[in-house]
Amino acid sequence: MGRYGRYGDDDDRYGYGYYRKKIKATGGIKAQSKRGSFGETWWGKRWVGTLESFDIGERLTRGRSYARSGQVLSIDIAKGEIKSKVQGSFPQPYKITIKLKEIDSAGWRKLTKALASQAIFAAKLMAGEMPQEIEQAFKDNSLSLFPEKLRDLETDCSCPDWSNPCKHIAAVYYLIGEEFDRDPFLLFKLRGLSREELIEAVGKAGGAAVQAAEPIPEILLPPEPLAVDAASFWQGGALPENLFGEVRTPPVNAALPKRLGNFPFWRGEENFSDAMNKLYERASAKGLEVF
Amino acid sequence: MIILHAGFQEKHLLLWGETAPAEPETKSKTARSAKKAADAKPPRLIYDVGVEGLLAALAEFLSGLQLDKSDFEDVAVWLPTVEGQALASNVLIAGPIESKSLPVLSPWRVTALPLATVEAIELLSLCVDKQMLSPGVVVGWDLAYWAAAMRFAGALTARQQFLPSVVKEDGGYHARWQPVFIGQDAERFQKLARAMPHICRAMTAAHDEEQAPPDTAAASVLSDFVAVIVDHLARVDREREQKAKRSSSNLGDTLHDHWLQALPTMKSELSGKESELEQLAAQGRDWRRPIEITTSTAFRLSFRLEEPEESKEELAPSPRRPIPASQNGWHVRYLLQATDDPSLLIPVADAWNAKGKQAAILKRPNFNAREYLLSSLGQAASVSPFIEQSLKSAAPAGYDLDAAGAFEFLQEKAWLLEQSGFNVMLPAWWTRKGTKLRLTARANVKSPKFQGGGGLSLNEIIKFDYQVALGDEVLSLKELEALAKLKMPLIKIRGQWVQLSAEEIQTAIEFWKKKATGKATVRELVHMSLGAGKAVKGIAFDGVSADGWIGDMLARLDGRLAFRELEPMEKFNGTLRPYQTRGYSWLGFLREIGFGACLADDMGLGKTVQTLALIQRDWQASDAKNRRPVLLVCPMSVMGNWQKEAARFTPDLPVMIHHGLTRAKGAAFKKEAAKNALVVSSYALLHRDLAILDGVNWQGVILDEAQNIKNAETKQSKAARSIKSDYRIALTGTPVENNVGDLWSIMEFLNPGFLGNQAEFKRNFFLPIQTQRDPQATAQLKRLTTPFVLRRLKTDKAIINDLPDKMEMKVFCNLTKEQASLYAAVAEDAGKSLEEADGMQRRGLVLATLIKLKQVCNHPTQFLKDNSKIPGRSGKLARLTEMLEEVLSAGERALVFTQFTEMGEIIQRHLQENFGQEVLFLHGGVTKKNRDRMVERFQKDISGSPPIFLLSLKAGGTGLNLTAANHVFHFDRWWNPAVENQATDRAFRIGQQRNVQVHKFLCAGTLEEKIDEMIERKSEIASSIVGTGEGWLTELSTKELKNLFALRADAVGE
Repeated sequence: MGRYGRYGDDDDRYGYGYYRKKIKATGGIKAQSKRGSFGETWWGKRWVGTLESFDIGERLTRGRSYARSGQVLSIDIAKGEIKSKVQGSFPQPYKITIKLKEIDSAGWRKLTKALASQAIFAAKLMAGEMPQEIEQAFKDNSLSLFPEKLRDLETDCSCPDWSNPCKHIAAVYYLIGEEFDRDPFLLFKLRGLSREELIEAVGKAGGAAVQAAEPIPEILLPPEPLAVDAASFWQGGALPENLFGEVRTPPVNAALPKRLGNFPFWRGEENFSDAMNKLYERASAKGLEVF
Repeated sequence: MIILHAGFQEKHLLLWGETAPAEPETKSKTARSAKKAADAKPPRLIYDVGVEGLLAALAEFLSGLQLDKSDFEDVAVWLPTVEGQALASNVLIAGPIESKSLPVLSPWRVTALPLATVEAIELLSLCVDKQMLSPGVVVGWDLAYWAAAMRFAGALTARQQFLPSVVKEDGGYHARWQPVFIGQDAERFQKLARAMPHICRAMTAAHDEEQAPPDTAAASVLSDFVAVIVDHLARVDREREQKAKRSSSNLGDTLHDHWLQALPTMKSELSGKESELEQLAAQGRDWRRPIEITTSTAFRLSFRLEEPEESKEELAPSPRRPIPASQNGWHVRYLLQATDDPSLLIPVADAWNAKGKQAAILKRPNFNAREYLLSSLGQAASVSPFIEQSLKSAAPAGYDLDAAGAFEFLQEKAWLLEQSGFNVMLPAWWTRKGTKLRLTARANVKSPKFQGGGGLSLNEIIKFDYQVALGDEVLSLKELEALAKLKMPLIKIRGQWVQLSAEEIQTAIEFWKKKATGKATVRELVHMSLGAGKAVKGIAFDGVSADGWIGDMLARLDGRLAFRELEPMEKFNGTLRPYQTRGYSWLGFLREIGFGACLADDMGLGKTVQTLALIQRDWQASDAKNRRPVLLVCPMSVMGNWQKEAARFTPDLPVMIHHGLTRAKGAAFKKEAAKNALVVSSYALLHRDLAILDGVNWQGVILDEAQNIKNAETKQSKAARSIKSDYRIALTGTPVENNVGDLWSIMEFLNPGFLGNQAEFKRNFFLPIQTQRDPQATAQLKRLTTPFVLRRLKTDKAIINDLPDKMEMKVFCNLTKEQASLYAAVAEDAGKSLEEADGMQRRGLVLATLIKLKQVCNHPTQFLKDNSKIPGRSGKLARLTEMLEEVLSAGERALVFTQFTEMGEIIQRHLQENFGQEVLFLHGGVTKKNRDRMVERFQKDISGSPPIFLLSLKAGGTGLNLTAANHVFHFDRWWNPAVENQATDRAFRIGQQRNVQVHKFLCAGTLEEKIDEMIERKSEIASSIVGTGEGWLTELSTKELKNLFALRADAVGE
């Protein structure tokens, strides 16, 4: 039991004093945070802070342990709404919905104008960081980015617990907080504006004619018919100079995955970033051999 | 002869090959199989090597693999085809097809061996920078291309430019590592794709049905190939593979776990629900997006550091005092640089709201300037707070900074930005490596009075003190203290920005205060002055300034001062050309100051003569009881030549040849050697007879063709380094200095320890130069070696004037044992018959014997007509191959004459198999049209022209104009100078811009040498009696003939 504390977190507890064992889920989403509080970034912390401001007692602790042990089976994020399944004590997982109040289009118009005045907002967001100044920009327009009051948030869970939010909702809420750490754009999505719409809106407000950013398509190159002249056919062109660059093992391993951050909703047992570090280091040595 | 090719299809490299179609004697068989081949669809390529051919070509490589026929498969390659005949890749396979119609692409069936990725990597590693995989197996251009592409993938992997992914392939989902091309890698990739030979992507499956030729873009084929190699290299975790096999209990069982377990192992396929796998793939794409958005785009964000504009004050003349630069006025400008045209730079200021022309330039598929700029700047912001600050405007375009900021940018930020995939443009004074000004320590040497007498000693210990300098300026303590007060990292001195850190200046001040002094031997001082000095008390060492005799010596060594030219010697039988006098004086100069020298003159400039002159001089200079011998080590094939040259130029010198079964051993050798001026031996014996060779008190050891010890590990290299002598000289005609790997061994022989031990050399020079092309290491190595290597080219202006337009040289070769026994048998046979013959019969017998003996001297195969193996059986052919190798490495062209068509065929086959290049052969059977084409191709001044032209004396001796050649080889002799000269004149005609070297091959100790001597003795024979034939020889008496045919003992070279 020790792993889950002395309160019997393995149990589901119902309002009318009836206890039942939690069914251990396999392959659920596992929080990367191993102990203590959730949310590494200021915006992740802020999100978690909203949840923790509700007076739901033990449910927060249990929610955290649910999030860490992989009881949350799925999370789908859409505009203004999160749908999730959490394994509780019933064979059938509970269904959870978290709705956030969307900001209306008039509100977004005002906001994007403010955001377009400084490139740093969009630039930082795209680089995976929520600029601190962004809250002020919301406040200046009498809006808020984070749900602050109870009425900003509408939560529902199919479990029989009378409390709302319950520990299942809390678990989902914590995991989303971790996901925000990686991708701050998600918060905008929840408030009713997708990444693409945001970039487009910032561009428009800034006065540039920019088409909506499309997902990067796989580049299909036009066909290149084979030549029949002997030189191009058999011999080809001269090899470029400095074809290899400075070839050495980089001073820091796995710099590319580090730049990208944790893998979204990581379910693996092994810590993702630790695993990458090892694999990159070995691959590097192998590459040097062949070079 | 097989040319290996490779196509890339369905993630596999498929190896196939071309070979010349079978010999005519099997015509009926080939006709049958040709008919059968024509029935198949697509028809079988007539040049296809087939299973057996591929197995033979790969024998060495495949030794570890068990292959049978089922491992091979038929594929189609689409080749340029004319009138139903596929064109061969190379004339080594088949000549061009004459036709008026243009080639079209048609599919041809070939046998291919699909290689697993691990095998492909192994094979391609063997092909790196090689023309031949083994004798007779040529690495096709396409195979060479794949080898380069593999190294490119290896470099990407080493630099960790890849990311994990989930990819849908053939209906399943696989865990894959994907290469990422950021910044310069994207440019490199594009350039590499453009260089791809089209044959690389001309392969399809061998179907019956009609199909269209493949047209997949080179970039996609290359991208697939690089992805396969990177993916393979990144799967390295054997341990994990085994662990996974042992137990999967605590490894987790989610899709993420499976993915992480599959990434490092060879089992890439993931199992699970399609919808979940697709979701994982999508998550991965989502995750990689921030990096993908900045890669493979048409433009790249660049940062350019711009200097403050010069103010008048700074331009004011002030010779010595460093001037504080104005603190401000530096600027970093943001630019967009086109990846396909790096010179196209658009200021970001104009790109935010681009209009008109600029908008048109920025409009590229898959490129959204604003999105790209935002995400790139967002990433760059984390590198520098200045960049972050600049983003607080609507359209950031750059930022201003002061000198300290500029310094930080140069020192640190530029590198970080480059690492993140951005381009950085810095002022030229910063990026010019090696010429950067900095504070250095210099040894200031005052030469002690020169103690006359027995030469100077390199081991004498000299005391000196250090000075601190900035560039060429020596700085005093006062000046350093003034600099320290400025407290500025960037200081402008004489219009040039110099970086000086406070610590650096402080270290220099301490250095001064301590009055640093040092001591070193003269040898160490030379070493230090050539750039091998180590930092002194934290300050980089710059060089040695010296006065007196040490100063003079250093100046002579690095060419600032001329060395003394030696007088010509009395007893030297010949005249040295001016450059030869310089060369021999140079050898003398280095020997006198105690250093080993490498004379690396071009072939034909007379390395032998210069060396002999030096030996002669020493011999003359000392009295009889002080004379000591010199050991000369050379390949077997040139031993005869040394003996002859010594006899000609230095007839006075006693020369001893140490080789053969009857060679002197033990004490007898020591005693004998001591009587001689020169002892000639071979590399093979250098190791075998080391014990007795090392017992002699040698004056010098000279290595001819010193590239023979380029591999430091071989027994002969080790033996060469171990023999003690007063001086050492290496002779070579190949440019040793161009091959870093080979340099150490030769330098270690000449000047032990000079380049450090082998491990140090590898670390300090070989790896930085070979893998990183480090210009500083290259320059330092050059500085260290230049004083000891003298290489003059025939094309050097100073040399050309010294040379006659035509130089004739005799090349003395030895017979192999096999040749010698055949020769003896023919001669004995003829001797018996001569006694009994007379009249016409006798004439016929003499001429027939002459021809037989010439054939034996040429090659046993020519004499036996048995079509047996070629390599290793003829001294002449071995020497010809060596010399042509030098000709080719110098990028020159040669004519080779023989009077026998059969010998021409043997030479052609041998040279083609050795060099993997076409060798033209003009003989009596060549049509006029083909002959004109050959001449035209040979004369064409382009890199692809065949550099060797073989001619039969009869077919090519007259009428042709072959001035592209500057070497003429007479492989066998026509005992008639007039005919030979006429042939030589093919190259030596009006229009010849270069000096022509004529190499006449002779087998020492055979009739070839003896007839040559006869002609030389009686020059009148040449003009009057000889006429145009060889008939004059039949007039000799039987005794004379027997003498002529007899084999002298020194003929054999083994």
